[in-house]
Amino acid sequence: MKNERFLEALAARARSESPPAVDVAGRVIARLSAQQSRIERMAEKPLLWLAAASSAVAVPAVIIAIMVYNASTGPLYEISQAISWVTQ
Amino acid sequence: MLSYPSNMVFPFLPGRLVSFRDGRLLLELVYSLMDSESIAEDRQQTNTSLAAEIEDVRLSRKGDSDAYTRLIKRHQSHISRILWRFSRDKLVHEELVQDVFVEAYMSLHSYRQEAPFDHWLSRIATRVGYRYWKQQARRHETESFSLAEWDQLPDKSPDEMDAGRAAELLHRLLGQLKPRDRLVLTLRYLEGCDVAETARRTGWTKSMVKVQSLRARKRLEKLFAQAGKELKR
Repeated sequence: MKNERFLEALAARARSESPPAVDVAGRVIARLSAQQSRIERMAEKPLLWLAAASSAVAVPAVIIAIMVYNASTGPLYEISQAISWVTQ
Repeated sequence: MLSYPSNMVFPFLPGRLVSFRDGRLLLELVYSLMDSESIAEDRQQTNTSLAAEIEDVRLSRKGDSDAYTRLIKRHQSHISRILWRFSRDKLVHEELVQDVFVEAYMSLHSYRQEAPFDHWLSRIATRVGYRYWKQQARRHETESFSLAEWDQLPDKSPDEMDAGRAAELLHRLLGQLKPRDRLVLTLRYLEGCDVAETARRTGWTKSMVKVQSLRARKRLEKLFAQAGKELKR
């Protein structure tokens, strides 16, 4: 078996190796901008859900309001109003 | 006594007799002055590039992609060198280099300019590389390496061996160890880091680095011993 000195000499030899040349600048910037837009979209999502929830609540509320308004201006309501005025 | 021509070596001492010792001292003085001038120039250049770097970091934090591109271009060869120890697959290596710069951008706000930017980046690179090894280990993707192959290496000095082959062999040999052991031995052997530098790069304490190195070496010896027994059979 080779000893530790051999291993160290091998490592010293390996240190002189030059790595392959890379140019990642373009791809990094592209990844960052893609990530940025994903984050922005993610940030918009809660607002969309909030808008959907508020409209889901608002639509029945409006329907009920219209129904109450119609009921309150009906002939039966006017008669009951008149009776209550007489009894007072 | 030596007489120097008045107009040659020391034009500032016209027609004077200068002893050999004095002359040597004066020469040393001139050389040291020249050295100090070149050191001053180097220092000035370093300061200028450092100031430019700090400015690029500041602009990058504000989202200036051109400034970050400049930072990447300045440091990518250094980071590529570090990550070449973690993966020798060109595609994976490039992906890891990209990961380092993406991660660095995301945590750029935490860079406090207490250490040079490349030191900070090398810490991130080590973390990214180590994470990659841990993922590999989880998936049981160890590169094949037969210790018989190691034993067949000529006993002569590896200085004559091709640097790429030496690095490849060491990479695969250390790949037989657990990521933690592999990391400490890669930094100590392949990167040639001392204890302090290894501690800085890994984020471990110095004593932890020492203990970990010792354990990793023992495990490597054990690996060799096991292979030796297998070879004898």
